[in-house]
Amino acid sequence: MAIEELKKENEALPDEVEAVAAPAAEETEPHEKNVRLMSPTQMVLRRFFRSKLSVVGLVMIVSLFLFCWLGPVVYNQWGQGDVDETGKVEYTYSEITYTDENGETHTFYQVVETGKTVNSLAKPDKSHPLGTDKTGKDVFARLMYGGRVSLAVSFLAVFIITFFGVVFGGIAGYFGGWVDTVIMRICDILMCLPGFPILLIVGTLIDSFGIKGQYKIYYLMAFLTLISWSGTARLVRGQILSLREQEYMVAAEAMGYSAARKIAKHLIPNVMPQLIVSMSLSLGSMILYEASLSYLGLGAPEKYAAWGTMINIVAEDQNILQNYFNVWGPPGICIILAVLGFNFVGDGLRDALDPKMRR
Amino acid sequence: MLKYILKRLALSLLILLGVSLIIYVLIRCMPVDFIENKIAAMNQGGATIPEETVENMKKLYGLEDDSFMGILKGYFNWLVKLCQFDFGTSFKYGAPVIDVIVSKMGVSFAVAAIATIFEFLIAIPLGITAATHQYSIRDYLVTVLVMIGISLPSFFFGQILKNVLAMKLGWFPPSGLIDATQTLSGMALLGDYVRHMFIPILTVVILSIGGRMRMTRTEMLEVLNSDYIRTARAKGLKERVVVYKHAFRNTLIPLVTSLAGLLPSLFSGAIITEQVFDLPGIGNVAFKAMMEADIPFIMGYNMFLAILSVLGVLLADLMYAVVDPRVKLA
Repeated sequence: MAIEELKKENEALPDEVEAVAAPAAEETEPHEKNVRLMSPTQMVLRRFFRSKLSVVGLVMIVSLFLFCWLGPVVYNQWGQGDVDETGKVEYTYSEITYTDENGETHTFYQVVETGKTVNSLAKPDKSHPLGTDKTGKDVFARLMYGGRVSLAVSFLAVFIITFFGVVFGGIAGYFGGWVDTVIMRICDILMCLPGFPILLIVGTLIDSFGIKGQYKIYYLMAFLTLISWSGTARLVRGQILSLREQEYMVAAEAMGYSAARKIAKHLIPNVMPQLIVSMSLSLGSMILYEASLSYLGLGAPEKYAAWGTMINIVAEDQNILQNYFNVWGPPGICIILAVLGFNFVGDGLRDALDPKMRR
Repeated sequence: MLKYILKRLALSLLILLGVSLIIYVLIRCMPVDFIENKIAAMNQGGATIPEETVENMKKLYGLEDDSFMGILKGYFNWLVKLCQFDFGTSFKYGAPVIDVIVSKMGVSFAVAAIATIFEFLIAIPLGITAATHQYSIRDYLVTVLVMIGISLPSFFFGQILKNVLAMKLGWFPPSGLIDATQTLSGMALLGDYVRHMFIPILTVVILSIGGRMRMTRTEMLEVLNSDYIRTARAKGLKERVVVYKHAFRNTLIPLVTSLAGLLPSLFSGAIITEQVFDLPGIGNVAFKAMMEADIPFIMGYNMFLAILSVLGVLLADLMYAVVDPRVKLA
């Protein structure tokens, strides 16, 4: 590391430096005055907030959440299914020239009245900040409601995946033996399942059971959690295998703690750092998954907004793809912001939680 | 080594058995009348599915018998056929599933293979510069850019590229694989293919560079911090030699290993990308088949994917031992 950088570090961390330097300099002074104790959590937070990218990521995520949950409270003119019925009657003129049998040319103006009752594909203005879509629904409002679905579903999915992963990985790593073998073989099988095609099958399956379209995405994501906990389980198992051999676990054994207590109180907290990192990174990929499923038409019907569904429209309609970026662009940008935010935060957390990265 | 490979192959068979069971159970959950409705819809849509094929399919999967033994018998029937490489006949395409997969694989493979080559060619140098200039502006810039690349949804980015490069600028055709208005041959045909595949490949490359670059960067940083690199520097070797001859060689280990893990993605086709650009690849074909409940094709395609990914994992592990002499397989 360059000397300048070290200097910068020193300036940034006056308290920690003092903690080392002070006792030697002033023996008589009580240590507590110059020493500020930092808990591991404080140190992690400090390292996390020192990285600009992770702060940017955090701001992105928090503002998206505020936008999606508080937004509709403030901006309540339009709901996600409300159609703007204030269509304007428009006239189009076309010039028709025709030559009669005498050779005289006549010019007519053909006036066509295109009366539409629905204010569809409106350009952004005061009443619709992002315009309206093909069916006259307000894009801005749908953006907020759609975000609720995408974010909530992804969060739920990641928490359930982590739960399954911790339970199965914990059991496999702690007990070992045949339990471990069985669980790991199941993990192998789940890892080789082709995820996306399987979800497409499940989508058809859900159709065949006649489940309402608006709940389809929840069932799909629930199924996704069932087949994707293997990665987390492996992570937890590997970590527990190495922790199991440490002295403090021997001590816990000697104290006569139950297996459940040893796993929950002594092993899992030590796996937490890796878990938190993997959770925040998989949040991003879950949002992408949800959006892709909605894009392929497996999500909620058009009446209910979701970011993927809102982009779906351009697959059929070249006119919207070319001329109405305000309809399909914003949801895409929101997806990118959400995924990018979670990736930045995950990356920052990884660096902050890594004990080797003491800088 | 041979013993290890045999053991792994046996394990792979076990995994495939599990995968096939899951897929079979999923398909069996579908109500029979739903399938019949779908077949009727396909017949109305212009396809002609002979009654015989449907009956064969029902027999093959034991769909008539819904008792537990019936389901079990159906599964084993299907499994035996599978071992004889008989995946049944696709409803939608009216040909054996294997034939459909093989005939559509070429396009998907071309896109994936070219994209992978470019991905490695671009990502590795980027990863090396980011690692050798850690915490510099260059590092941050590269990191942020590839992070954005990772976060792009393929369908959204694909549509943007299509909109800008194909429709607004008109440099490339927006969709399909061949220009239907002309009959081309030889070099002209190849050129036409390249023009059609350019945007899909660009999409895939930009989306996948990030992961590869970050992998290179992490590995490179780890190697650069090791003792033998300090020794090399202390010997007074040029920085170029240290980085490219000493450090980079060890960085190559995980990169080469990951190459074997790419096997499934080379042949399986990118469902969404092919969908966006309407490429007649295997992903697109499979998506359409799945939307219309073409059961033989769904089963065949999913088993094909599972076999590929099992092989990919196996190859990656073997590759590891080949590339890194320190690793001993047992």
